[in-house]
Amino acid sequence: MPTRKLVTRYEDDLALFPDRYHKLGLVAGVIVLGIFPFVAGSYGLTVSHSGLIAVVGAIGMMILTGFAGQVSLGHAAFLALGAYTVAILGGTFGWPFWLALPVGGLVAAGIGLMVGPFALRLEGLYLAIVTVGLLFLVDHLLRNGLDIAYGKDYLTVPMHTWFAVDDPSGLGTFRDDGALSGAQKLYFFFLALAGGAAWVSKNIQRSRTGRAMMAVRDRDLAAEVLGVDAARTKFVAFGISSFFAGIAGGMYAFAHPVITLEPFGLTMSVGYIAMVVLGGAGTTFGAVWGALAFVLLLPLCELAGEALPFPDTFSSENRAVLLFYPALCLFLVFEPLGILGIWLRIKRYFMAWPFRY
Amino acid sequence: MTEFIQYLVSGVALGGVYALVALGFVVIYRASQVFNFAHGELLAFGALSMVWMTAPAVSEEDMLSIGAPEVSGLGLPWFAALPIALAATGVLAALVERVALRPLVGRPVFVSIIITLFIGALLRTAMILIYGAGGMPLATPWDPMGSFQIGDAVLGYTSAAIIGASAVALLAFFALLRFSRLGIAMRATSSDQETALALGIPVGRVFAATWMIAGGFAALAGVCVAVRDPQVDPTTGFIALRAFPAVIVGGLESPTGAVLAGLLLGVAEVMTAGYLNDALGDMGRNFHIVMPYLLMIAVLIVRPYGLLGQRKVERL
Repeated sequence: MPTRKLVTRYEDDLALFPDRYHKLGLVAGVIVLGIFPFVAGSYGLTVSHSGLIAVVGAIGMMILTGFAGQVSLGHAAFLALGAYTVAILGGTFGWPFWLALPVGGLVAAGIGLMVGPFALRLEGLYLAIVTVGLLFLVDHLLRNGLDIAYGKDYLTVPMHTWFAVDDPSGLGTFRDDGALSGAQKLYFFFLALAGGAAWVSKNIQRSRTGRAMMAVRDRDLAAEVLGVDAARTKFVAFGISSFFAGIAGGMYAFAHPVITLEPFGLTMSVGYIAMVVLGGAGTTFGAVWGALAFVLLLPLCELAGEALPFPDTFSSENRAVLLFYPALCLFLVFEPLGILGIWLRIKRYFMAWPFRY
Repeated sequence: MTEFIQYLVSGVALGGVYALVALGFVVIYRASQVFNFAHGELLAFGALSMVWMTAPAVSEEDMLSIGAPEVSGLGLPWFAALPIALAATGVLAALVERVALRPLVGRPVFVSIIITLFIGALLRTAMILIYGAGGMPLATPWDPMGSFQIGDAVLGYTSAAIIGASAVALLAFFALLRFSRLGIAMRATSSDQETALALGIPVGRVFAATWMIAGGFAALAGVCVAVRDPQVDPTTGFIALRAFPAVIVGGLESPTGAVLAGLLLGVAEVMTAGYLNDALGDMGRNFHIVMPYLLMIAVLIVRPYGLLGQRKVERL
């Protein structure tokens, strides 16, 4: 097996799936993803929904932290903005889902651009803690704003009137009809969104914008000297990242009939950073696989946690924490490149086969 | 005016706690360039250990009777338990550094951020496992309702104790940093680790000592919170999140800044709760909680490295 295909045309360099192995992988992936919702039970579909939401959110995080090197702990705030925008537009104003979702993304992106100026002046930990402040501010504004507007801080999302065929209200229903159940429809919708996000991210990564981001990440002063507009790059990174976070928040709202503010806390932000590092910082591959691994491992740890000899009052989430977090810490300590590192090692082994380094 | 002085006094008491917490963050940051997000859990650990050690011992049968105390502890005298709690938390902090953070030297900043956050969650869960999720009160050796009269304002014994303990701890730390051998080693290490090592300073041991001191500060802050609040539980550590602005406003490298900013923000928070919350109407509910963050953002716009932080000089 040749280590790399001989490139003779510019088109070959630009191709997302350059050789036969990539194309085979693509076909296999499409088949697996297409069959999955018909094989999986309702629990499997719910987990896959969370997984796809996490993929979109993690891609947003990856663009900001992985590509542009800006550490933000305020990612959950943007998800909250997206989720609540979608819920308000859908529930109160009766907008269709395909319009509410991008608007949710844009609202989050708008707030994200407002944080941009701080990123221009602050570095590393200072920025991380300012974004923690953002988390508290958004929480405060949403909590009190909703209390004034609705008298409650939770909202119902009209997902059951979305994905319609025939509904007297004119908004359509999300009910099971014909060949596909509601959860399966949602799965394919989310799959399209996650696929689109990965495609956008991959293209950002290998184009001018992404290369500028990586230059800024590696050394912003040096990038500036070389002619990269560091300020503009950080600004763009915040905008795109919070747009994706807003979309992920909107998806979260679709997947949950009722949304509250509680899940959009520091834990969620940390989860997204963990996904990025778990997958392998700086690549789209890392965002996708990190998100999937994170979302799939947590239920597994909850299952395994049942076997631990603790009193019954100790909740399954707590048991999962005791298993999951140490495992994650060890992984981060011993595998700096995350899942990407493992994948690269496997790939190299087969590329060099039958020789060994 | 009485009201103002009253708010000032409670503000200083709250600020003392913030200053202790912020100083813990700064001490660790100076030594190992790590922002220890598990600090809040160390604080809760200190507080809960204190509760457990001071609570009277209750036998199994008595626990079942109605009206029995919820906690069965060791029944140690209060002032004997305090140093043990501080030392235990210090050892825990040093352990965290040795086991989890030493292997991460040289890795990107966000790796240490998430590792400390995970360790925080882990410690919190472990504390739920050990102490239970319910709140436990900490008895005080003084009358918790008693108070001094200063002019027209009232200074509770508890507030006085918090202010006194913070002041003593802070002075002791600055004396240590300024005059002792260890303090000089700590300053050398924070200024340049490699050079310090080359000059024969045992950097690893200095790290351990620094983390122990920071753990002690965390435990002291935890005890202060525990005597102030009616109950403590493993989530008490979230108060550390509210001390973040103090760290940043003061400047990450500056112990003096942390103390100043802690006191400042404590007073600002209490003043906001007293005067501003009601003025803002519906949006003002719990506004005092976000106020330190707003102040932090305002300060950072003017001074990106905090009030007393080091301006970084970059060379290519």
